[in-house]
This record gives sequence, structure tokens and C-alpha cells, in this order.
Amino acid sequence: MHRMSFHRNLVALAGLLLTGLWLAPPASAATFSLFSRKPDGPAIYKQQCVKCHGPAGQGVKGKYNDPLVGDWSVEKLTRYIAKTMPEDKPGSCTGPKADAVARYIHDTFYSREARARAQTARVELVRLTNRQHLLSVADLFRATGEEPKVTAGKGLQAAGYKSARGTRREDRALDRTDRKIEFDFGTDRPQWAGEGTNGFALHWSGSVIADETGEHEFVVKAANGIRLWVNDDDKPLIDGSVSSAKGIEHRAGIRLIGGRAYPIRLEFFKAARDKIANVALLWQPPHGALQVIPARNLAPERAATTFILTTPFPADDSSVGYERGVSVSKEWDEAVTHAAIEVATHAAKNLDRLTRGKASDSDRATKVEAFCAEFVTRAFRRPLTDEQKNLFVTLPLRSAAKLEDGVKRVVLLTLKSPRFLYLGLEGAGAQPDDFTVAERLSFGLWDSLPDTALTKAAAEGKLRTREQVAEQARRMLADARTRGKMQYFLHRWLQMNHIEDLTKDPSVFPGFTPEIIADLRTSLNLFLDDVVWTESSDYRRLVLEDDFFVNGRLAKFYGVNTDATEDFVRVQLDPKQRSGVITHPYLLAAFSYNKSSSPIHRGVFLTRNIVGRALRPPPMAIAFKDGDFKPGMSMREKITELTRPQACQSCHSVINPLGFSLENFDAVGRFRDQDGNRRINAAADYTTDDGGIVRLKGARDVAEFAVKSEHAHQAFIEQLFSQVVKQPMLAYGPDVLNQLRLSFVESGYNIQKLLVDIATVSALQETGKPASTSK
Amino acid sequence: MNALHRRTFLKQAGLSAASLPFITGLPSLGLAAPARPRQRLVFMFSPNGTIPAAFWPDETGTDFQLKEIMTPLAAFKDRMLVLNGVNNKVKGDGDSHMRGMSCLLTGIELFPGNIMGGGGQPAGWASGISIDQEIKNHLQKSDDTRTRFGSLEFGVGVTDRADPWTRMSYAGANKPIAPISDPYQMYEKLYGQMKDKENLQSVLDTVKGDLQKVGKLISAADRRLLEEHQALVRQMEQEIVNAKQQKLRAAPPTLGEGVADQNDNLPRLSRMQIDLLVNSFVNDMARVATLQFTKSVGGARMNWLDIKEGHHTLSHDDREEAVAAKLVKINKWFAGELAYLVQKLSTTPEPGGEGMMLDNTLIVWTNELGRGSSHTLNNIPFLLIGGAPGFTMGRSLQLDQVAHNRLHLALAHSMGYRLETFGKAALCDGGPLKLTA
Repeated sequence: MHRMSFHRNLVALAGLLLTGLWLAPPASAATFSLFSRKPDGPAIYKQQCVKCHGPAGQGVKGKYNDPLVGDWSVEKLTRYIAKTMPEDKPGSCTGPKADAVARYIHDTFYSREARARAQTARVELVRLTNRQHLLSVADLFRATGEEPKVTAGKGLQAAGYKSARGTRREDRALDRTDRKIEFDFGTDRPQWAGEGTNGFALHWSGSVIADETGEHEFVVKAANGIRLWVNDDDKPLIDGSVSSAKGIEHRAGIRLIGGRAYPIRLEFFKAARDKIANVALLWQPPHGALQVIPARNLAPERAATTFILTTPFPADDSSVGYERGVSVSKEWDEAVTHAAIEVATHAAKNLDRLTRGKASDSDRATKVEAFCAEFVTRAFRRPLTDEQKNLFVTLPLRSAAKLEDGVKRVVLLTLKSPRFLYLGLEGAGAQPDDFTVAERLSFGLWDSLPDTALTKAAAEGKLRTREQVAEQARRMLADARTRGKMQYFLHRWLQMNHIEDLTKDPSVFPGFTPEIIADLRTSLNLFLDDVVWTESSDYRRLVLEDDFFVNGRLAKFYGVNTDATEDFVRVQLDPKQRSGVITHPYLLAAFSYNKSSSPIHRGVFLTRNIVGRALRPPPMAIAFKDGDFKPGMSMREKITELTRPQACQSCHSVINPLGFSLENFDAVGRFRDQDGNRRINAAADYTTDDGGIVRLKGARDVAEFAVKSEHAHQAFIEQLFSQVVKQPMLAYGPDVLNQLRLSFVESGYNIQKLLVDIATVSALQETGKPASTSK
Repeated sequence: MNALHRRTFLKQAGLSAASLPFITGLPSLGLAAPARPRQRLVFMFSPNGTIPAAFWPDETGTDFQLKEIMTPLAAFKDRMLVLNGVNNKVKGDGDSHMRGMSCLLTGIELFPGNIMGGGGQPAGWASGISIDQEIKNHLQKSDDTRTRFGSLEFGVGVTDRADPWTRMSYAGANKPIAPISDPYQMYEKLYGQMKDKENLQSVLDTVKGDLQKVGKLISAADRRLLEEHQALVRQMEQEIVNAKQQKLRAAPPTLGEGVADQNDNLPRLSRMQIDLLVNSFVNDMARVATLQFTKSVGGARMNWLDIKEGHHTLSHDDREEAVAAKLVKINKWFAGELAYLVQKLSTTPEPGGEGMMLDNTLIVWTNELGRGSSHTLNNIPFLLIGGAPGFTMGRSLQLDQVAHNRLHLALAHSMGYRLETFGKAALCDGGPLKLTA
């Protein structure tokens, strides 16, 4: 605080000098500068630094383009300046002079705190992101009642019939649960079907649980007739009633939202004349390989259907590291309109089911109007005024000759309305109103609309205190939608959303198949879920844990000793070798080249995402070409050679040691002692933000260092905050990061609790005025 | 359309989310005169064979007399080409009705499968694409022949059941295409977007007003985003107005309301579908169409002709005189529906071109059998009406038991697609039928 005001005076003084005015300085200041003989930081900056870095460190085009911002301490900055600055005359600004200018730079614009002071970040008006739009539309059609409980892992409910028809009760001969659908009866008749020549049928039903959001391709292979329904109770996704004796591979794609369960039904019938009988139900999920749908994605209970938009949207702006709805475009407006038409068509087609009525009902118009009013209220996240009800429901319903068209108009109007498309339009004054708090909570935790309980709490004025809001947030944690949001964050934190193709050179890594790659992603997802959704929910376990989830295939490839088959089991790996996500083969392979490890990719990932240091973009783009190096060099030697220039070293002195610490892992994440015929040396000296040196001997040392580093904690909290809230954290006050961190540490680094804290803090934030002027 | 298929479609059409064909731009309008005359092809199907004696003219050549079944088409005698002696020679699994239907346009065997018919081995779907789809794919590949749909599959009273008896169009092996039997559904497919556009237009004013209203709730800094949004809404409104000024060449037909998909409505359904078919051609939404009356083994009860028995049941006894008379009446009714279609095309000027639409449209009336009682796949009643390059009309021909694959080749050639073989290659010996005088 003291130092801050001191610098403000100096800045003011410098300003006066710059404008050429001369006023007698206050005696105290004059005394200070004349007699202390202390070097004048601002003056030195102006004299020696401004021409390349600009008056406020913003950079100068053609000289030094990037803003002068970062996370080095004053001490480290001082040493760096003394050694390298100014560029044309290094060594001319040393000792107290370097210290003074470093302190000035650090406290005026370089450090996070300085930037926080300077910025007038505010909570901006934003539209729904694409994910929020997709999920909100899905939840618009969600039944208000209790969701059916679905227990994944058991497989599907199976019913067997003694005839191919498979509908008559007296033919029913089998009730059981099948963990997967993969049967080959050959020319035989299963025992339960009894004697006879009648053919037989099997019907499976239950739910399928999608791990991730995206296109899921369902594949049924059968020599006999089949029909498959997915997320639709009426229309089959695949109608394969007509079979082919050679077997047909039926394929159909459907978009599913990750973390949710969808009703599925498969009917299989062997006609009397079919010579053989076999059937298998497979899928290729996003990022996955074609595989028989495993038991962990199947449940015997039937979930309700979910309405999932298929309209493609242009990508959201994610230039600041998280997706946010800060801009509108013609493409976006057209996508919104297409989506609205898609929803309107769905609503009009399913009007009877949605209104629980039928065309002949005498009170049909009343029922439809009530449905429409409820639809608009849900979409707008707050009760309608009489005027709004008239505008959004009554008038459009009356304007069309046919009731169905009236409903379409209500839907179109609603989904094109800013009240649906924007967050925080109403009630976001100094004190957010109850429905705004509810909206912020549900979009924070779910990226979707408030549910009935939350809306009720808002209507009853039970979202006023911090404790009330936190209470709701804790309730919402149990919902599958929170898990979806958490996965969304974790995938971005670990950059898993960018990973498309992990294929390696098969001559170097035989057996690293698409199936192994898909299994690895599952393994990592299981690990993340396991850490986050146990009670301790301990962030430190994410990087320290030596647990690893494997199935038989992975165990074989990675040489893990276990009797696992198709199901994933937890195994303990050697803690000296493995350490949480840092050494998970999926990420190690992702941050590798096609033939070899990549210490730079791994190092950059660890720097930014695990130890939480800021990095500037590289000053020049240099491609790594293996052929440029003498044969026989180790990867470590090659990278050291490549990044030797001074211009590289300001970042690579941080990146390389972290990357080298993972050199014990090859490009598919297997542990190794040798790189070619060279023994691996994973030890390196890492320069901390205050210029200290830490000796890292391997992955575990990085993890141990990270869990104790404030920077690492801050980076994790900031990432979670921005993915959840989708607003700049600085808009919530300069102290919010520190407060969240203190509470995070106090809770034993509990991620669930941190999520509740973030949701609560952001929901209650006053946004009537820019945060920088609030206390 | 599910998401995956839509994505594939968008990819094939070279469209991304950013250039999604927008509501204001559809249906595609503004038909400029084409560089080459548009050439169109229609397959009309009716089931259960014909009554040869009441169908085939006795004479060959240009001077021939129409028999009873063809009398509704008398006005178009000089536009027709009667092809006697064309056989469906595809053998293999499936009964005659199944092969008759599912090999009719594919010219290739059925897969063995689980559908057991009245004879032969159980079978599944056809093992190849049908000629209408093959030609459609060809036309969709180039800019000057591509249309919004490429092909349209109309049905009249096709039962809601998918099996080799009910499907003649195939997108590929094991990929039957279901015809649309409900004219309202077809109308929605062709013109649904116009209704969407109207609904959309009706709400845009309120959207604008609402944006204005909520703009007052927020800070000046945030208002910029809403202003941009408002500009987009105004732009869309303008585009809809502009699009509306581009008139369709032919307004969509007015369909009678509430005509249910039932046996007794077949005459009305037929006319509604034919009206839509001609209309879709005028607006150049497709160059290929199929019009499928019921299905193979179709059992329509033509109460409107005072015939109480089902069509298929009757067809087994076509050697009894009284039954044959009924079957002649039934087939004559189909000929009348064909005449309605031909009449419409012959009186509608070619859009942006010369002459009438019939000049550039070839209609192929066909059947799954030669005759009902024998279940023969020989001498299938092929009657061609209209005009196409390479086809000299106004003749009755007796061909030498040729494979129908060769007719398909000739049809492809007339559409500008020089196919060498189609379906089962061994049945294409001799190449396309030469149907020029």
C-alpha cells in the first residue's frame, strides 16, 4: 500500500515533467529525490526503455511488440535487466539503477496486481455460448418431475422370446441383464428358447450414457433382423428389419450431450428360416474407437429422452482462453434462427405429448396456451409480466390460423428474443435480484437454465444470503449437469479438447492403436472423475496420485500386471515413476512428436497449466527437425542446442527443465531409462518466479513443487473461475483470487468446495458499476 | 435428417456452418434459361402384372392400335413408345414379387436375408443402387444439372412397412429409399421453408421492439452488442422481403385438407402427389422422380371402380374372364392417372425454354411382373411417354427378350450419362437398347 502511493507520486511527477510544466515540487518530494540519491526508476525507464517498450510497457511495433507483462519477481526482473538491458547496451543499467527501474516496471504495469489496478474490468453483457445454447434448449424440454435413476455399469435389461415376433407374453422365456450386446448363436438355438423351429427374439432396453458431447455413431452388426432406437421413443435410429444372411453392418449417427443418459432399445429377431444368428451393438463415440458398447456406458433403467439441436453454430470467441459470448455475427444470428425453426418444428410435431393432450380435446387451446406460457417463462428464467405474456404468448398464438403455427411463432419469438439469448439483461443492478442470482448459479454450474427447485428458491426470496446461495450450489453439485461442466473445465485445463489425433509412427510404436488411444482417454476421464467426485476432492491428488485406470488392453500395452479384462480397474503404479495427470500416457502422448517425445510441448504444458507460469509467445518460430541434429544425440541435447540463443532463454530456462523432467517417458507414455542408446537424465534446475533455483529430478518433483506453489494454485483457480463464470476474474474485485485461494487451501484443496465458492461469489457479485471502483 | 447425415450432406455440398443455406435464400428461385434443355425422368410403378391381351398392341411400328388398358392415353399415342419383350432377368434369392420390385430399378440380385416370400429362398435388400438414384447422383455432380433435391420419391398408398416388396429405389446396396406417401409430408419437404419464413417474418417486428426495450436496461458500454444484434435482425427482415419478391415460377399447389392416407382416398392422394410432382419440376427442384402406386403384391381395393376385391388377390386368377375384366379396369385406372400426369406436362410450358415440359420429360410406366397369374418377370409392361434424346416415340416395338438392364443404360444415356454397364454387368451385353428409329 505504502509503496503504491509512493509510486503514484512518482508517476504524477513524471507526468508533470513530461508535459514540460515546471512547478516547484513539494518540499518533501524534492528533498527525497535530491538528497537520497536514490536512482529514479521512472526516469530511467523513460530514458532507456520507452523507445522499445512504450510509455506504459504496452510495446512498440517493430521494436518489441508484446506488452511487458509477466510473473517474475522484482528480484528476478532486476537480475534480468542488469544482465541483458537495454538491448543495444547490456550492462549499462545495473545495481540500484536496475533495481529501481525493475521495481517501477513491476509495480506500474508488469505484475498481476499492477494490471488489476490499471484495468477497469467489468462483468460484460454476454450472449449464451454455443454450449449454453445447446444445453438450455435441451433443458427447455426436460420433464419437470423426478429424473429416473440410472445406474451405469450394469448393462441392458434383456427379454428373450421363443418366437421371432417377440411380442406375445406367453412366448417370453428370458429376463436378465446383459453387460454388453455381442452374441453369436451360430446355427444353434439358445437353451432358454426351448425346442422348436420357430425362431426367437431378444429385446434389450435401458439407457446409454454418453461420456462426451458430440457425434456418436451407433453400429449394429447382425445376420438377422434388428431395430434400434436411441433417444427417441418412436422413430428408430436404425431400421434393419430386413436382414442379410451375410450380415449387415447398420450405421447411424446421432449427436449426444456428454454426461447424460439416453433411452436405448434394441430388438433382434431370428426368423425360422435364418440359418445363423448373431448380433452386436457397437458405437464410435467422439474421440473414441469403434467398440462394443461397454457395460459402463449402459444401464438397465430407461432415461427420459433429451431434445438435442442439430443446427451447427459458428465457433465462440475463445481468444482469452475461455469461450464467451461477447460478439454477434450474421452467421450466429442465422444459426440461432435455424435452431429456433428446428425447435419450433419439434414443438409443433410433438404438441400432444408436450401438452399431455390430443387434437380433439375441447380444452386444447387452453392447454396449448399454458404450455407456451411455461415454455417462455423457462426460457427467460423469470416470471412473465402480464404485458410480456401478451406479447410472447397470446399475440403470436392468435396471429396464426393454425394452432401449430401459433406454437411455432411463440417458439421462434422466444428463442430469438434477447431475453433468452443474453445473460444478465435484467435484475443485474447493484444488488442482483433473485432470478439473476438463480440464472448465474445455473449457468455457472450447468451452462444451462435453472431447474424447478432453483426457480422456486428464487421466487421465495431464498437466494439472498451467501449461505443460502452456497446451499443451492451444493445441492446442484449432485446433478449430472455439474459433472458435465466439471469435465468441460478439466478437458480445457488439460487441453484435451484440442486433441484430435494421437497416432504415432507404427514402425516405432507398433500396437499403439486407435483402440489404445481411446482407452487412454477413458482411463484419464475415469481418473479425473475419481479424484474430483470423491469426498476429499483433493486438487493435489490430480498431480500426485499414482493410481492408473486400465483395462486388459492397456495393461498389456503398458506392461501393467493385472487380471483386468474389458472393464477398467484401478491399479497402483510405481510412485517413483508416475505422478497423476503429469505422467498420464494420454497427455504424454499428446505432447509428443510422431516418433519421439517433445520436451518443449510437455514443458510448455507444465509451465502454463500445472505450475501456473505466464509465457509469452515465442519471439521467432523455429521448427524442430530431427534431421538437423547429429545422429546419436539425446532429445534433451537436441532441445538444449535448439533453444540456446539468449532470445529463447527467458522462457526456455523455465520450459526446458520442466520438459526434461518427463524425459523418462517415450512418445506413447511408456517409462524408459534409455533414449536411443543414451541413458536418460531427467534432472534439471528450474528457475522459480523469484529467481530461485529448484532441482527437479523427475515428474514427481514437478508435482511436489506444483502443489506447494501459490502460482500453481492461482492458475488452477483462475482457470476454473473463467471456465465457470466466463467473465474476467478481475471484474470481481482485486481480492477475489486471494480470497478463493485462502479458502481453497483451508478446505484441503477441495475442488468441489472451490466450485461452490466460485459459483456463490460470482452469483452474488454486484455489477451495477465497474468493479474497480467498488471496495 | 439426423446430425451426422446433415453434416455429411453439408460436406458434400461444400457448405459449412458459416454458409448454411439460409431460410431467406430458399427454395432456390430465379430460374435463368438453362444452357442445355432440362431433361427429366419419371418412373411410375403399378403392381401385380398386366393383362397382356388388353395391354400389348397387336401391331408393331408406328401404325398400331391401342388396347383397352391404354385407351386413357389415346391423345398421346404419338408420344409413346411401347416396349414388349423386355425381361427382368435377375435371378437369385427372393420370390418373383420381391425380385420384380427390388431388382426392377437396380438390375442386380437381392442379398440372401430373412424375408420369406411365396417361393424361392428368403431374401433381403437389393445388392446395388437403383438407376434413378444412379442418374440423380450423376446430375447432382455438375453445376448445370444440380437441383435442390436431385430426385423425389412419391408414393401413393404404399404401406408403412419396409421390405423388398415395398422398395424399388435404392441409394446403394442395403440402402432402400422410402417413398413419401403422405402428400402433406411431401408438401412440407418442398415448401415447408416458405411457411417457416412466413412464421419467422411475423415475429421479427416483436424481436426488434424487444431488443429496443431491453437496450434501456443495460449500460451504454453493453449496448453496442445489442445494437449490432438489432442490425442483424433488420438485415434478416430485409432479406426475407427481398426473397419474397423473387417469385416461385409456380406457386405451390393448394392441397385439400385432411385427406388421410387410406385406401379409399387413393384417387385423391394420387392427384395431389401428381400435382406436387409437376410443381416440383416446374420449380426445378429435381430432375428425377419415382411415383409408386402401392407396392408389389399391392392389394388396393378399388371401391371407386366398384371392385370389392383386393388387386393382388384378383391378379392370381387373371385367366377367369370376369376377374380379367376387373383387372383391366384396375390397370386402366392406373393408365388414367398416368394420363393426368402426361396431360399436365403437355400443357405446361418448359420453364425458361421452348415447347412444353413433356418434350423434355420421359415417363416410364412399369410393373414388377409381366402378368399376375404366372408371376413371370418376362415381358414386363414397359410404356414410355414423353420425349428424350435417343428415343423415337410414337411406336410399338417387339424386342427380343432383352434384359431390362439395357433399357436402364438407354435411359441413362438419354439423360446425358454414358453408363457402360448397370446392375449385373453380365446382363448388359449388347449395351444400351437402340430406341432411335
